[in-house]
Amino acid sequence: MTFLGILQYYLMIAPHLLLVGVVFCLARHKLYKRFPFFLAYVVFEILQFAVLFTLILLPSTGSERYALAYSIGLGGSTLLRFAVIYEVTVQRFRRHSAVSKLAVPLFRWSVAGLVLLALSLAAYTGGGDLPGIMVVVVALDRAASIVQCGLLLLLFGFSSYLGLSWRSHVLGIALGMGVFASVELANTAIRSHVGRAYASYLDLLTMATYHVCVLIWIWYLWAPEKIPAKNVQQLPEHNLEAWNQELQRFIQQ
Amino acid sequence: MIAALLVVLAFLALVFFVWLAKGRAATPEPQQLAGRIRPVDVEAFRNLMDPAEESYLRENLSPADFRTIRRERLRAALAYVFCVAGNAAILVRIGEAARHSPEPSIAQAGERLVESALRLRLAAFQAVAKIYLGILLPTVDISSTRLADGYESMTGLVFALGRLQHPARRATAIL
Repeated sequence: MTFLGILQYYLMIAPHLLLVGVVFCLARHKLYKRFPFFLAYVVFEILQFAVLFTLILLPSTGSERYALAYSIGLGGSTLLRFAVIYEVTVQRFRRHSAVSKLAVPLFRWSVAGLVLLALSLAAYTGGGDLPGIMVVVVALDRAASIVQCGLLLLLFGFSSYLGLSWRSHVLGIALGMGVFASVELANTAIRSHVGRAYASYLDLLTMATYHVCVLIWIWYLWAPEKIPAKNVQQLPEHNLEAWNQELQRFIQQ
Repeated sequence: MIAALLVVLAFLALVFFVWLAKGRAATPEPQQLAGRIRPVDVEAFRNLMDPAEESYLRENLSPADFRTIRRERLRAALAYVFCVAGNAAILVRIGEAARHSPEPSIAQAGERLVESALRLRLAAFQAVAKIYLGILLPTVDISSTRLADGYESMTGLVFALGRLQHPARRATAIL
């Protein structure tokens, strides 16, 4: 077996074995209560791998049957990733009622805008020289990547603008999702341009990125959540209320 | 072309995610942060945004002079809002640190401070958008009361028109 073949098998198997470690981390800190969709996503990924790997090993599996199983798995995975992004967003702002009121409609409208943009781009760029159902699968995958990447950018950007600090578990999950969504977006864009050429290298890139993401999740979820122990004796004087009233008056003027 | 654009955007997004995650580790102490708060005079901002003063300027200056003066006043107001928004971001950090204080009174005050500072950050975001609109279109009155009045009179017209065209139909069906 060539080095590329060994690397391919390693990147196919290792991240999914490591995902068992992610489940262990979630159980260790009882995080499945806060992140049920993330747990569902991780378990789904493990099961999906088990099915697809069995199909690869079975000599009777035709390429059409594998493509169908892969497409169904990809669809389920994509839907669960959206659920995880929603979960992370809710967890991020749940303590702040002022932000939640604005964040929910903002994200709803952003989803609508991003879906429109992604579908029009997917329809415009097509799927290269890929065969049959895979054209549709790649186009939808690219559309989903655009929406997911856009939503995570909005989440990170909005949090950064507000100056809110991240709790490590939420950050870990969001960061892993963000890294995967951005690399997947680049990957699907290149795939739509070059078609089947370099497909094995692009597959390796996806698998390697996924491996990195699983390591990020383990890194952040392994340790208990740190509460910043800063010494605050007294709060500084401020005129926030006066400014709040003044800006509200100006906005409504 | 679109594929290349998406690849560049994806790369920038990746850099942004990693940069934000790394930046989280380097948060200064609350005392250091408090020293960065700059006092901003709310009265001065109120004068700058006073509608009566604006009407006076509109009536007494030539249109060209009014546009120049109004843009300058709005730019000054923008500087105030940016400064206040910066202070609010610092107060969010301090409030978050205070929230974990073992002293219950400081923890509660920290909670209130965070909520208040977040409300101010959101208000500043909307105010900046409104001020930029004013800088772009200095002769247009962007006040929402005027817009609301305009909407009210417009809906009144539609209501009257609807009654003329369909006397039996309810106005809500038209609007």
